[in-house]
Amino acid sequence: MPTLTIAGKDLRLLLRDPRSAVILLAMPLLLILVLGLSLGDAFGRKPDDRIRIAVVVEDAGLPPDPARTFPPKPWADILLDDLADTADIRVERVPDRAAAEALVRRGDRSAVVVLGKDFSELCQRCSFVGADFKTDPINPLYRDGVRADALGVDFLASPTQPVGSSVIQQVVQVSLLRVIIPWMIGQAFDQIGSDKFMDKMGEKIPEMRAAFLIMPKQKIGAGIQRGIGDFFSQYQFRAKTWAGLTKSEPPTARVGNRGEFTPAPGLGVNRGAVRYQTLVPAYTVTFAFFLVLTVGWLFVAERRHGTMVRLRAAPLTRGQILLGKVLPCVAVSVLQGFLLLLCGKLIFGMSWGAAPWLLVPVVLSTSLAAVGLAVLVAGFARTETQVAVYGTLVVLLLAGVSGSMMPRELMPEDMRSLSYVTPHAWALDAYARLLAPDAGGVDTTAVLTACGMLAGFGVVFLGLAWATVRLD
Amino acid sequence: MQPMTAAPVLEVTDLRKRYGRAVALDGLTLSVQPGELFGLLGPNGAGKTTLMNILGGLADPDAGSVKLFGQPFGTRARQLKPRVGLATQDLALYPELTARENLHFFGRLYGLGGKSLAKRVDDQLTAVGLLDRADHRAGTFSGGMKRRLNLAIAVVHAPDLLLLDEPTTGVDPQSRNLIFDEVRRLNAAGLTVVYTSHYMEEVQALCPRLAVMDAGVVKACDTLPNLLQTLDAVARLTLPPTPGLAERLAAVPGVKRVTPTADGLAVTAGDLAPVLPKLFAAGIQPTAIDIQQPTLERVFLHLTGRALRDQ
Repeated sequence: MPTLTIAGKDLRLLLRDPRSAVILLAMPLLLILVLGLSLGDAFGRKPDDRIRIAVVVEDAGLPPDPARTFPPKPWADILLDDLADTADIRVERVPDRAAAEALVRRGDRSAVVVLGKDFSELCQRCSFVGADFKTDPINPLYRDGVRADALGVDFLASPTQPVGSSVIQQVVQVSLLRVIIPWMIGQAFDQIGSDKFMDKMGEKIPEMRAAFLIMPKQKIGAGIQRGIGDFFSQYQFRAKTWAGLTKSEPPTARVGNRGEFTPAPGLGVNRGAVRYQTLVPAYTVTFAFFLVLTVGWLFVAERRHGTMVRLRAAPLTRGQILLGKVLPCVAVSVLQGFLLLLCGKLIFGMSWGAAPWLLVPVVLSTSLAAVGLAVLVAGFARTETQVAVYGTLVVLLLAGVSGSMMPRELMPEDMRSLSYVTPHAWALDAYARLLAPDAGGVDTTAVLTACGMLAGFGVVFLGLAWATVRLD
Repeated sequence: MQPMTAAPVLEVTDLRKRYGRAVALDGLTLSVQPGELFGLLGPNGAGKTTLMNILGGLADPDAGSVKLFGQPFGTRARQLKPRVGLATQDLALYPELTARENLHFFGRLYGLGGKSLAKRVDDQLTAVGLLDRADHRAGTFSGGMKRRLNLAIAVVHAPDLLLLDEPTTGVDPQSRNLIFDEVRRLNAAGLTVVYTSHYMEEVQALCPRLAVMDAGVVKACDTLPNLLQTLDAVARLTLPPTPGLAERLAAVPGVKRVTPTADGLAVTAGDLAPVLPKLFAAGIQPTAIDIQQPTLERVFLHLTGRALRDQ
């Protein structure tokens, strides 16, 4: 009963102290708001390991021709398929050149590839053979690969991101080679053995013309073509695709590697933005441990006001006094955790994930750890200044080590492992498993394990506090 | 006052307490009878607050014994603590709580509750003149009001022994008078009070019996008249210069010493009452007499010396 009396009094004091409300509720909400306004849309997303190739397709395709068997679709689509079906490349379609120029100008993209309106027509004209065999042929190849300008391909490159831009250009070069070379080989091989080809052979080798008198040149031509094909038995020269040419399995269509460009939202809270799935739990955890200040002030004030003497003079045990002071701190911490998550949902539109009920043990166990640490630190501090200095130092140090102040994915592996010496890291892990947009299915066991670790921290901290806190 | 033969409410024997190398109590022995209003005087560093802390159950002595109500007492004597009320030298109240909330909280800590606690709180607020400010936060009170509330908190649980450590520090005369009245009222109602103060006149006015402490021991402990009797009285006589008068005065029985002053003579005697008639009988006619009887302050300085106590 005296424990509850002390707890009720301290709860009343906490609720009447505006500093507590500012530190425990207003500050985290303000920081979430400011960072939510400041950070880009990518914050909070799992980093994309794939190379992003932004493309503007202006290609008008080829005019209809029933006789044409290849390509089955516009050359731009063939190139994009080749890019997208290559592992670790994500193709992003940008709607038009103006949008692409704006993206590059703002530095949002290091380069954007523009496939001009006559891209298909120019590709179609690519040829190893000359005008004798193909109308208006183009040779797109040169020492470094494919001449982009010959195919109507523009690279809008950011001068401030030369490395990223260069990587994108090289990736596109390789794809162009994979698309153009089989086409050029196939066309050329189709010509081998043709009447025109045999006539040319006859011009170069006069004896061939005598042979045409004995055997039809079409038959000889077909034999030559077959013979060359057999000689290069590792390849299929007529295939016109890279997979066909190299007799490989065609690549699997990777639907996930294709996407449309989504313009970044403008300034504003942008309720529901992914960043809040990271920001809200990060600051909920960080500021849960700012309870150190509140509890510290509570203990120091009890001494400063002389009322600790009265508590000690009363017929109370040390345990009753300590428990009476711990209970309201737990209540405030739990209230803070749930209120911040509620504000996260109501103000910032965050999602509570697929298993909201699991947030309850996470909040409770985080509060236990925070209260334990708070009482431990409060026991050492003798003045309000000491509370502010030691408390802030401890809280910021733990927040920094744990990765509360940045996406934990950005931490080096060693530092991430080290971070598990802090309760923050376990709490952040639990929240990430529940709230991260790419968390997938909820691993209940992992979340409850994190809660167990947090509770363990709380018990150890409280045990140490119990043994060390002096009431005089 | 209860008869001195009753079992003491408070009995400390050969009490010793050190803080590092500093000796706070050095074999202090003292007892207080039921219903007494007992004064405790001492210069800074005499050990008064240490003694009050031990009597209030805040600290244990290094050696010696403390008995309250005939039972051994210490920090762990929870069964006896409700019988003790403590008003420390420093204020001990919550400024963010109202006067009523403060009293209510401390009352509940001692197991009071319900209507009896509410009535007790109202009674205490009335007694210290704070009923009309009962629902104001204590932090908004003046120094005197806080002191009065501090006293009310010390007795809200109806103790049998009240320990008051400098209860009037920094208060205005009105609040001081109210505190005196309340202490007297509580004592008259049967509460035993140990009253510590720097102010001699307070102890002199309130406490029939008192102890003077210094250097952790009791230098003297007796009723006020008995303590005063240990010093001589002085009569300053304003007289026209008369040759041979000093010698005549010195020859009067009971006169210990005659000293010239600016406007006459100072006559020192253990007791002036029998001496003055003899002066008049000897034909000495002073135009004015200023009698300086022994005071507690003089007794205090006599017992503790005039050296400054900055520690």
